Amino acid sequence: MKRSPVRNALFCAAVSLSLAAALTGCSTKGGTGAASDKEAADKIPLSAVKVALVPGGAHPYFQLWKTTGAKAKADFGLGDVTYDETAEWNQAKQNSLLTSLAARGHNAFGVFGVSPTDVNSTFADLKSKGFAVASLGSCPAGGTLKADFCLSTDVEQAAYKATQADIQAMGGRGNLVHLTGNNVDSNTQRRMAGVKKAVAETNGQVTLLTTVTDIDTDLQTAQKAVSDLLTAHGSQINGLVATAYNPAVAAAAAIKQGNLPIKVVAIDDDPKILAGISDGSVFATVAQNPAGQAYVGSWALSRLQSGQCTVRAPGAVVDSGSFVVTRDNVGTYDVERQTKTDRLMNDFKTSVLSCP
Amino acid sequence: MTGHTPAPDDADVGRPRTATDSAPAVPRWAGRWSAGTAQRLGLVLVGAALVVLFGSARASFYDQQLTVFPLLRDIAVFTVVGLSQLATMSIGHMNLAVGRMAAFSAMFMGIAYQQWHLPLYAGLAVGLLAGAAIGALTGWIISATGVNSFVVTLAMDFALLGLVSLTYSQLTTVAAFTAKPAGMDELRGYSMADVCVGNVCGSPAIPQILLFTIVAMLLVGYLYSRTRTGRELLLVGSNSTAARLSGVPVTRRVIGAHALSGMLAGLAGFMLAVTSGSFTAGIGSEFMIPSFLGPVLGGTLLTGGAVSVVGTLLGTSLVQVIRQGLTTLGTGLENLNIYLGVILLLALSTDRIRSVVSARRAVAHP
Repeated sequence: MKRSPVRNALFCAAVSLSLAAALTGCSTKGGTGAASDKEAADKIPLSAVKVALVPGGAHPYFQLWKTTGAKAKADFGLGDVTYDETAEWNQAKQNSLLTSLAARGHNAFGVFGVSPTDVNSTFADLKSKGFAVASLGSCPAGGTLKADFCLSTDVEQAAYKATQADIQAMGGRGNLVHLTGNNVDSNTQRRMAGVKKAVAETNGQVTLLTTVTDIDTDLQTAQKAVSDLLTAHGSQINGLVATAYNPAVAAAAAIKQGNLPIKVVAIDDDPKILAGISDGSVFATVAQNPAGQAYVGSWALSRLQSGQCTVRAPGAVVDSGSFVVTRDNVGTYDVERQTKTDRLMNDFKTSVLSCP
Repeated sequence: MTGHTPAPDDADVGRPRTATDSAPAVPRWAGRWSAGTAQRLGLVLVGAALVVLFGSARASFYDQQLTVFPLLRDIAVFTVVGLSQLATMSIGHMNLAVGRMAAFSAMFMGIAYQQWHLPLYAGLAVGLLAGAAIGALTGWIISATGVNSFVVTLAMDFALLGLVSLTYSQLTTVAAFTAKPAGMDELRGYSMADVCVGNVCGSPAIPQILLFTIVAMLLVGYLYSRTRTGRELLLVGSNSTAARLSGVPVTRRVIGAHALSGMLAGLAGFMLAVTSGSFTAGIGSEFMIPSFLGPVLGGTLLTGGAVSVVGTLLGTSLVQVIRQGLTTLGTGLENLNIYLGVILLLALSTDRIRSVVSARRAVAHP
């Protein structure tokens, strides 16, 4: 039974060498396989353009993509606009989903990338196959964009605006707490930078007491974290700024229930948060524009894939807008948002795309 | 399988015979397949039937670039994840930290590329060493304390979660190491069609990264079927007391199995990072359940003492084919997870059913 150690070592060496030979010893043609380029699409009718809107996973923020996508299909006469949320917040699964959608005939993609540092590779893959690609709702990290364009909220700017609103509500002084999502996500890092920037501008009048991360997984997690926070530091806190959906809803509910004198600035326009603004338990929220992203994004993708337009500056980044909603404008902010969407459409027609 | 002494080969390694066991091995030509062979054949048949089913429902399932290439890339990564778990299952342990060990290794690879500017394979070596080291530490803790591997690896999972997150937030601004050494993008996108010997090139549907999986399978298969160390690992899994009394250095084998598990987790982390595009703290967060699914479906026993390397590939392939097929058919999120949950249940039930059947056979044919 005893095997020679020399024989074992030789076997291991042979196997390792075979890998090295396969990768280096043979000639390499370079990218003729899955990453092979297809010719840019010739002009095709809009009815042949099938847009896929693919968020990183299921989240209330994207529900408007679904309804708006259907509206865009009817308004623009597209072949199809599909919404698919089965990526489960996993970049590998999203990549697999995107290729499956491509295999099913979709040829234009609006993608909210799961991993901002990885999604450029995904965009490059899709582009190399001749598809129109937009980064919707979030831009990749690092300042490089390999999609045709990015249409999203400037998350650092939105967090900055929210913090400014909270500092104003606090009377310009006191202790602030930031509630947010996944700490190892570059968007979260950008939100944290926006909050810190606004706090730094107070020259020490406002202190960022703590930043609570990783509590956007679900509402229960956020509720527990907010409850723990208020138990431990409730009396010291003057303002709470929540830059993720679940912490925002949890914070609004906890402050209302406890009738605490803490100024909350939330994110997004969930009905619970809007109700909080109306009854005064939430000072403000920063609404985003997911419907505008899906509507204008679908239009631009269809024009690019049909060959009617090209991007003037490939990799253009466009802010889809963020809106501070307070009790003063809670009834009218949607008009402001619709106006922004109309302006975005006009911007795309006149300056982002070139449509000869 | 427990009632038989199977014919040893790279694919199916059952309970080992010790030096005192003089019973002859069942020859291959005995006319009956072993339970493990039958199980793997079943996997092949079910997998082939599903491929035909999905393909006839949607012809795009056979698209080389859009379906087969990414499918094989996923199978390549998750087979190595399965092998990582297989290494600990061989000694009757489990590694709940398999995903975090992948993240830990990938973190070292990211540092090697971004901070130390090492080439691709040097960084891979650094990461594999880091994975082996954290695995060995886990094995040593289990041996030294006598605490169940479930508890120790769970604790290690939490510790690494904190350590990895902290390191990324300290060293990076975007929570990822984004430096790409030369060759990384090529490894991600190139297929065997890009590798030619003369005028003969491979298939564009087969990703080059699959070669890492084949090498890992060959080495692990060789370890368990052809080396004394591998047989001692399986003996520890069958009965650690008997192994100790037979002179097997049980502590060293436990540390070795966990080190192997950590190293393979690191390799899987590298492959996932290459296919995704960067080294992030989130690498491996989805590894744990698939790590059990592939080996158990393929015939590796949760209780230790028997492993199947080829079965791990087949089990992983079946899961990935079902996932890819359902995605290609456009199945919604809820249905997708229901089907995958049913498969997991079947996988775990299969292990139990096999044990019961083996026990009955042993009673019927003592």
